[in-house]
Amino acid sequence: MRTLKLTGQFVALAAVVGLLALLVWRLTHQSHAPKIGGPAPAFTAKRMDGGGTVALASLRGKPIVLNFWASWCDPCKSEAPALERAFQRYRKQGVVFLGIDYHDVTGDARTFLSHHGVTYTTLLDGSGAIGDRYGLSGVPETYFIDRKGRIVGDHILGPITIAKWANAFAQGVQAALHS
Amino acid sequence: MIVRLAAVVVAALAFAGPAAAACAHPRTSLTFLEGQIMCPTCHTTLDQSDSAVALRIEAQIRKRIAQCWTADQIEAELVGNFGAGVLAAPPHKGFDLIAWWLPLGGIILGAALLAGGVWRWSRKGGDGAPPPDTGLDADTERRLDELLARLD
Repeated sequence: MRTLKLTGQFVALAAVVGLLALLVWRLTHQSHAPKIGGPAPAFTAKRMDGGGTVALASLRGKPIVLNFWASWCDPCKSEAPALERAFQRYRKQGVVFLGIDYHDVTGDARTFLSHHGVTYTTLLDGSGAIGDRYGLSGVPETYFIDRKGRIVGDHILGPITIAKWANAFAQGVQAALHS
Repeated sequence: MIVRLAAVVVAALAFAGPAAAACAHPRTSLTFLEGQIMCPTCHTTLDQSDSAVALRIEAQIRKRIAQCWTADQIEAELVGNFGAGVLAAPPHKGFDLIAWWLPLGGIILGAALLAGGVWRWSRKGGDGAPPPDTGLDADTERRLDELLARLD
């Protein structure tokens, strides 16, 4: 009888400890946008064109424009040509543009890229794991990463075609190039 | 004769189209899969979401159903695209089995503990326990027992 009581108490205690551990894990693993000036969260992702994977760490030493988008996102449609123009302009200065296709049907994404004539590297993030690391609240969003792998400039929370974000975009690229 | 032959050929071709479009197995349905697949941005099943990505996934499912893909094939493609989190229920294999067996184990354990508690409680009130206090003195109890014995 005493054994049964002790077992019951142990099981109840273990359940409480387990639930507490789950709560702590959930609280500590909530996604937040990375801090400006802090390190850019690392990732490795498959290329949309099927040419293997790209690790962010492999691009250390290069300024990066990291743009999250999806084919189902309406503002991304107006932004895509503007980003491509910016890529053509800044690539000569060594800026790397990376598109991250977030929570998207890959076939739709390929059609989108072809339709909008996007030529810079696009990576797949169907599960949203990369977006979660960057605390995404929606698409499109853009980050700038300097040569040391730090987030710089503004975190752009909308299409760069809007005047407010167009200025922030130009400043962000400069920050990535010169910081 | 030639006219009849031509008519037969035309009729055969007319039936051959739909026959070719038919699947070798029963088609799955969008209604079924909508309840099995999660919208990745809103974290509800597709049938409860009108988000842009949910509508695109539904369009993809419709396309695959028309191509005679089975529910398993469609789910596998979506898992490849969006990860295992796109499934409303975890797979019945590997580590995900825990999600199925843990609740069942909890129910069984809870039932066992409850049964143990009830058994223990019933034992307390059974053999060896003092008789309930009737509020009567011993003499009255004795006389009452005699009266009851006579009635028997």
